Amino acid sequence: MPTISNVTDDPSSNNSSIKVISPSPFSIRLLFFIWLRIGFTSFGGGAVTQYLIQENFIHKHKWITAEEYSRLLAMSQITPGIGIIACAMLVGKKLGGWVGLGISVLGLVVPSAAITIAITAIYFNISHFPRVQASLRAVFAAIFGISLATNWRNVRPILISNRQRGPLALVVAFGIMIGCAIMHLLFHPPIIVLYLLGGLCGAFSYWLFDKKSRRANR
Amino acid sequence: MNWLIFFLVVLKASLFSIGGFGPLPSLHADFIAHGWAVEKQFTESLAVGQVTPGPNGLWVVSICYLVAGLPGAILACVALMLPPLLVLVLQLCYARIANRPTTQGLLDGVVLVIVSFSVIVLGQLFYSTGLDVGMVIIAVLSAILAIKRVVATNVILLLAAIIGLIW
Repeated sequence: MPTISNVTDDPSSNNSSIKVISPSPFSIRLLFFIWLRIGFTSFGGGAVTQYLIQENFIHKHKWITAEEYSRLLAMSQITPGIGIIACAMLVGKKLGGWVGLGISVLGLVVPSAAITIAITAIYFNISHFPRVQASLRAVFAAIFGISLATNWRNVRPILISNRQRGPLALVVAFGIMIGCAIMHLLFHPPIIVLYLLGGLCGAFSYWLFDKKSRRANR
Repeated sequence: MNWLIFFLVVLKASLFSIGGFGPLPSLHADFIAHGWAVEKQFTESLAVGQVTPGPNGLWVVSICYLVAGLPGAILACVALMLPPLLVLVLQLCYARIANRPTTQGLLDGVVLVIVSFSVIVLGQLFYSTGLDVGMVIIAVLSAILAIKRVVATNVILLLAAIIGLIW
């Protein structure tokens, strides 16, 4: 399996204060506080939560590689329910066993849920002010921008490994994305159908490329 | 309100869905049918779910708080935390088939679909808030700042909130 280059290793970005070179020492306490902080501060929904997970576990503490994370993420996303919670379970279990799983989920969900309840209560008292509406609109524009960055990070390792498989593999990767977009916009199928089709296309093409490369090596 | 039925309704919506907005159709049908919620509460709690911290799917907690108070919100939390446990079952099988190219292809294919789908859905939501030059500039700048990892995302969101407030 070809490894992908890590963004953090880029020498031009070494001057940022939030990066460390070697992995931080692991502790359950630290794990809990990381999730707690993500739970408290990931304003902006799933895209921002995901961004913070990447930021903390891949780039800051270096406990998980980008490639591992994208695999955990893929498993989480095909699991029923909220993908981020499944992802927190996998990350927590990998790093700290069952205790890690438990505190990761509680650390992520309890503060988020508490703030959601509080904001629900506050929002309905102030939602009629135009200034509040304008502010929310600008925040959503920023959320959209951040989500583009998050998605780029998720798709980048896949595009890189497909480029190494050959130009046809890269075409397949873009084909899945564009095909999914067209099908969604034209036919509105249930998202599970799109997951299934995309997954099958990927599985079939990787199988084919693998067979080809083995025949070429023989 | 029958709490057991309430809990099972939320659990069903969560179990047979993928992603934050997934439970919407099922919850919408059941909550309206039981007379627990009205349309407006759905659009508002979805909006609140966008700006509160944590997973987008916590909008379900918001609507359950609206229609059933704190006990409803707590039941919703539990109902949302149970289905993702199935990922552990998936991981068990995954260990056995991990290094096959078909497995890798399956997962990569799913990620490609997720990326494409979420860009479209968020793009549509972004468009529905009313496009203008200022909003596009905020979106582009946020994307650049997030990719370059110059400042924390919370700072980006806070700046956007302030700009929107004083514009």
